[in-house]
Amino acid sequence: MSASRAFNHSEVRSAREAGAVALLLLISLLSLRAQASDEADGIAFFEKRIRPVLVERCYECHSVQAKKSKGGLLLDSRKGLLTGGNTGAAVVPRQLDKGTLLNAIRYKDEDTQMPPKGKLSAEQIADFETWIKMGAPDPREEDAGSGTRQTLTLERAKEFWSFKPVARVAEPAVKDKNWPFTPVDRFVLAKLEQRGLKPVGDASRHALIRRATFDLTGLPPTPAEIDSFINDSAPTPEAFTKVVERLLASPHYGERWGRHWMDLVRYADTAGDNSDYPIPQAYLYRNYIIDSFNADKPYDQFVREQLAGDLMPHSSWDQRNQQVIATGYIAMSRRFGSVVDRYPQNLTIDDTLDNMGKTFLGLGLSCARCHDHKFDPISKEDYFGLYGFFHSTKYPFPGIELLKVQKDFVPLIPAEEVEKLMGPHKAKEAELEAEVKKYQSEMKSTEKEKEKLQAQVAKVPKEEQAAIAERITALERRVNEIRGPMGAATKKLEQHRNAAPKIPNAYAVSDGKPADSNVHLRGEPDKPGELVPRRFLNVLGGKQLPPDVAAASSGRLQLAEWITAKDNPLFTRVMVNRIWQHHFGRGLVSTPNDYGSRGSAPTHPELLDWLAGQFAERGFSIKQMHRLLMLSRVYQLSAAGDARNEVADPENTLLWRRQRTRLDADTLRDTLLAVSGTLDRTPHTEPHPFPPMAKWGFTQHYPFKDTYPTTRRSVYIMTRRLNTLPFFTTFDGADSNATTPRRDSSVTTLQALFWLNDPFFHEQAKAFSARLLKEEADEGRRIQHAYRLAIGREPSSMEQKALADYLPQTRTKLKSSGTPAEQIENKTWESFARAVFRLNEFIYID
Amino acid sequence: MSHPVSRRAWIRSMVGGSILLPGIVSELLADEAARDASDPLAARQPHFAPKAKRLIFVFATGGVSHIDTFDPKSSANGRDGSGKDKLMGSIWPSSRNPRCGTEISDLFPKVREIADQICVIRSMKSAHFDHSEATLGMHSGSATFVRPCMGSWLSYGLGTMNRNLPSFIVISPALPYGGTQVFANDFLPAYHQGTRVVPGPDPVANLRPRELTREMQETELGLSNALNQLHLKERSSDSVLAARLKSFETAFNMQQAGADAFDLKDENDATLESYGLKRGQNTGFAWQCVVARRLAERGVRVIELIDSGSGNNGSANWDSHGDMKDHAPLAKAADQPLAALIKDLKQRGMFDETLIVWATEFGRTPTKEGKLGRGHHGACFSIWLAGGGIKGGIVYGATDDIGLRITANPVDVHDLHATILHQLGIDHTRLTYRHSGRDFRLTDVHGNLLQDIMA
Repeated sequence: MSASRAFNHSEVRSAREAGAVALLLLISLLSLRAQASDEADGIAFFEKRIRPVLVERCYECHSVQAKKSKGGLLLDSRKGLLTGGNTGAAVVPRQLDKGTLLNAIRYKDEDTQMPPKGKLSAEQIADFETWIKMGAPDPREEDAGSGTRQTLTLERAKEFWSFKPVARVAEPAVKDKNWPFTPVDRFVLAKLEQRGLKPVGDASRHALIRRATFDLTGLPPTPAEIDSFINDSAPTPEAFTKVVERLLASPHYGERWGRHWMDLVRYADTAGDNSDYPIPQAYLYRNYIIDSFNADKPYDQFVREQLAGDLMPHSSWDQRNQQVIATGYIAMSRRFGSVVDRYPQNLTIDDTLDNMGKTFLGLGLSCARCHDHKFDPISKEDYFGLYGFFHSTKYPFPGIELLKVQKDFVPLIPAEEVEKLMGPHKAKEAELEAEVKKYQSEMKSTEKEKEKLQAQVAKVPKEEQAAIAERITALERRVNEIRGPMGAATKKLEQHRNAAPKIPNAYAVSDGKPADSNVHLRGEPDKPGELVPRRFLNVLGGKQLPPDVAAASSGRLQLAEWITAKDNPLFTRVMVNRIWQHHFGRGLVSTPNDYGSRGSAPTHPELLDWLAGQFAERGFSIKQMHRLLMLSRVYQLSAAGDARNEVADPENTLLWRRQRTRLDADTLRDTLLAVSGTLDRTPHTEPHPFPPMAKWGFTQHYPFKDTYPTTRRSVYIMTRRLNTLPFFTTFDGADSNATTPRRDSSVTTLQALFWLNDPFFHEQAKAFSARLLKEEADEGRRIQHAYRLAIGREPSSMEQKALADYLPQTRTKLKSSGTPAEQIENKTWESFARAVFRLNEFIYID
Repeated sequence: MSHPVSRRAWIRSMVGGSILLPGIVSELLADEAARDASDPLAARQPHFAPKAKRLIFVFATGGVSHIDTFDPKSSANGRDGSGKDKLMGSIWPSSRNPRCGTEISDLFPKVREIADQICVIRSMKSAHFDHSEATLGMHSGSATFVRPCMGSWLSYGLGTMNRNLPSFIVISPALPYGGTQVFANDFLPAYHQGTRVVPGPDPVANLRPRELTREMQETELGLSNALNQLHLKERSSDSVLAARLKSFETAFNMQQAGADAFDLKDENDATLESYGLKRGQNTGFAWQCVVARRLAERGVRVIELIDSGSGNNGSANWDSHGDMKDHAPLAKAADQPLAALIKDLKQRGMFDETLIVWATEFGRTPTKEGKLGRGHHGACFSIWLAGGGIKGGIVYGATDDIGLRITANPVDVHDLHATILHQLGIDHTRLTYRHSGRDFRLTDVHGNLLQDIMA
């Protein structure tokens, strides 16, 4: 904390009001500053050296949260420290010889040695001494409870921009009335005019169709599409409307925008556990996303289905299945480790909540897992109020090292049919499960007993040690004895499940046993705090489940309704901002997953609210939003620079020009394939060629590592969680473990090496050159054809000359380096193709 | 070491052969003077005077038994000699280095000879006892959530000293547990990701020019460069476009610089022999160690050597559940090159400015598993550090007489990370990156410097 921030303004003001002389004021100011700075140092010392030790080593027994506070002593507040417990004050500031704490941690006294599990390090003890000498500075409030103070409290959140209701905004007046095409333009222009800036000119039709085609489909426009737009005699706005409509109707639209969504929900085809178990059914959820975008499914419905599709009414079996598949969103949560028996389900639910908060609400919730959120108005109780919904949800089990088969996937055929097929199988399964459980529980209790004895052994007198050691040995022997039969029983169960009749099913969730969740003290599930009813975040209204619903269901349907409610300001703002971001290169809110106090405020708050209002009014139609944004003049601006504007607004936050963007990894690969003519444009509608489940033997030693090469679009590539394909790592691909709200566009040497020597790159250049040779006989026209395919325009005369000159030179060089005559033509054009692929214009879109 | 072509020569060559536009040559040459200040990999000032300029991090996959190596325990057949308690001491004899007294088993005799140069930490503990989690924890400080690894943090904090090579190179014959996440940049900018090198004829992906002579590649790049310059001229305010052109130049040079770094033909026989490497051999841990020294010489900031054993994952690494004797061939492969690396760095005057850390996932249990194996043991294990301002010839921390528990000076991964960063001139509490609304650190809210091991 800086001295100036700790400085108390109100005191100074009152001194001034009292008419104190200037000198006095100055003196008091200086001393206040000095004091504040000492205090700040002291608090920094506390935060760095003392608090972590207290939290880690003492709170378990000495805090409000502890199950039972030992000796009546609380160390989680300043008051607790000073008052102390049954034996008096724990700390007396500046007096090392007083207070019980130092004595206890020094292990001086046989009876009070704290912490009992092991002495603190000499350095830590010295820190406590230093700190007490400093006067034991301690910023914690009385009755800490949570131990932290929020920057943005629930009270203040009412005044914070993102939590305020979406305002009904009137379109602003502008001076240049001729410039705007649409209301969007008036908002942008009004701001520019305020700053005395003018937008640059409009983009050329070539630039515009290239921009729009990549934006909506993630593919380059074909020469025919370009020609049809260029030759359209209608005025540009009208001609461009036709282009937008054509692109919105393309099946590739859903692939492109579905990919944006997959980034957010960290889509992958494996589970992310130690052995990275494959999920052959995951693709159903991927296709559900793509289809939903193509069908322009209203966004609120899209979100409701992903959170609670299994609980929503349906009028056909197909609709029911689609809604079930949608909950693949929840199933997609990361899996951890290798164990079944004590599987850390809390981590998986934490991952669900982290993603849900960021994706739908632009809020990071995970801080509140261990303590009230430090910056945002989210309490532990808020967190565990939400936790309960997923605690009451049955997640599918994708298989893991110690149980290598799937379980709890949701059937896509009616229950009666499942029963008919599965009935006899199930009885046997239950029997086998019971046997495995029996061994597991004995194993658990035996190991627990062993651990207990091991902890004891060092503490008892030497002569008793042998006896205990013997018991430990006996227990270990038992563990070893159980291990064999337990393994055999598990194997049997695996085999039985593998032999189960095949039932079409989805990686999706269903309702489990409805139950509220306890707060996990310090985020640890085995330290339950108070029980919190399932409810929504307080800052967004805090609605609670009616008792009958709470008793009968997980309540996800209600949660989905609260999240997607028209009056939830975050829900609409977050999504319109994402749409904006993918069209303009940057969101109006530049932190698309963070609308809290640490996020960025919108550059155009009125515009954001106007768009949010439009989105709700237009039935949450995403395609309507594309029209609204793309038909604006600001979307159609040129990417050109402007000396004056660059000085006034170098970051282009006021949108005086088009923001140049780099193709993301997926688009880049698709574009290379499309231009070279090798792209398979068909959608992928069946499972990846995973090995059959009966053959799954993946362990952390031998994790799942397959790759399935394809020439389909990148959205269809089988994505693993533990290992990313190098191409995607190199070009800032999506993170398959955590939500990616925005792709980076770095420039690195490894990328350049790709453009020099990568085999895939060379293959594509070869294919491109073959295509050119086949499609255009005349050399001059072939050069033009190459430019039209790769960068969507004709070369200038200077470019044409440079390219034409390059060919004979290259032929000569190839010849002189001994290339066989029959290869010279191909190799010349391959070299030409590589040079064209390396153009900045190929990957940076104006 | 050969010199990469100078920028001037590069610019000339790409316009060479008469291609076109001699007008832009002078512009390009003028640009030579103005180095891009926003270069994310430019060498940066540390927080304070560093002890070490670079890090060589050796990571043994699978979990090396502390009891049989750097923290030898002698209870060979149980406490009472009966073997009933299943306790098993080191199955190798051990002895002390005569100069400093550090005791090390016969699995690492050569390292023992130079033990007066290293500091053994016997009180290391791991947050987790499963391979993937322990490996991720050791690299990123987090066993569960994916976070940037230490090498990426160092690259982010310090940049690199040689733009013709990546700042962070990981030589890893087989992938460690946890996969590529182990050396991933995660939310840090992509410049800082670890570049994986796989021992063999093509160590770095895409480093070897394909199909073309160097001259032809130069001309081909010259064509796109000339066209790109035309494009850039109308977009001169966009530094990203210029940066990409510069990256081609670096990559072009890296083909040479990288190939040189991995080609050992200019090493003399005595050097190769000291590492135990046969001339012409381009795999094995000894090769990794020689290359580490060469990369260190060339200014690479972080060099990580993953000692993944001979096989592809699985049983061939240090994970000796079945029989501790499986440690022997692995130790034999690692011992001599490690000692040679330290001696070699010393001889070349680079030892003091290079921090060397040898670490593993976790230790192994004092009790035997099966007949002669050991299980995973996270409660205590041994690692060692050398050079870079670390005291040589000392042992830090201790365990009880069977190697079950720490009895003095416990060290967790955050303490280790904080100390490594400190030796490289970085205050671990100040190296932060703003991500999803908060400042992240390698050490999260933890980390205490191990002052006692600093020289």
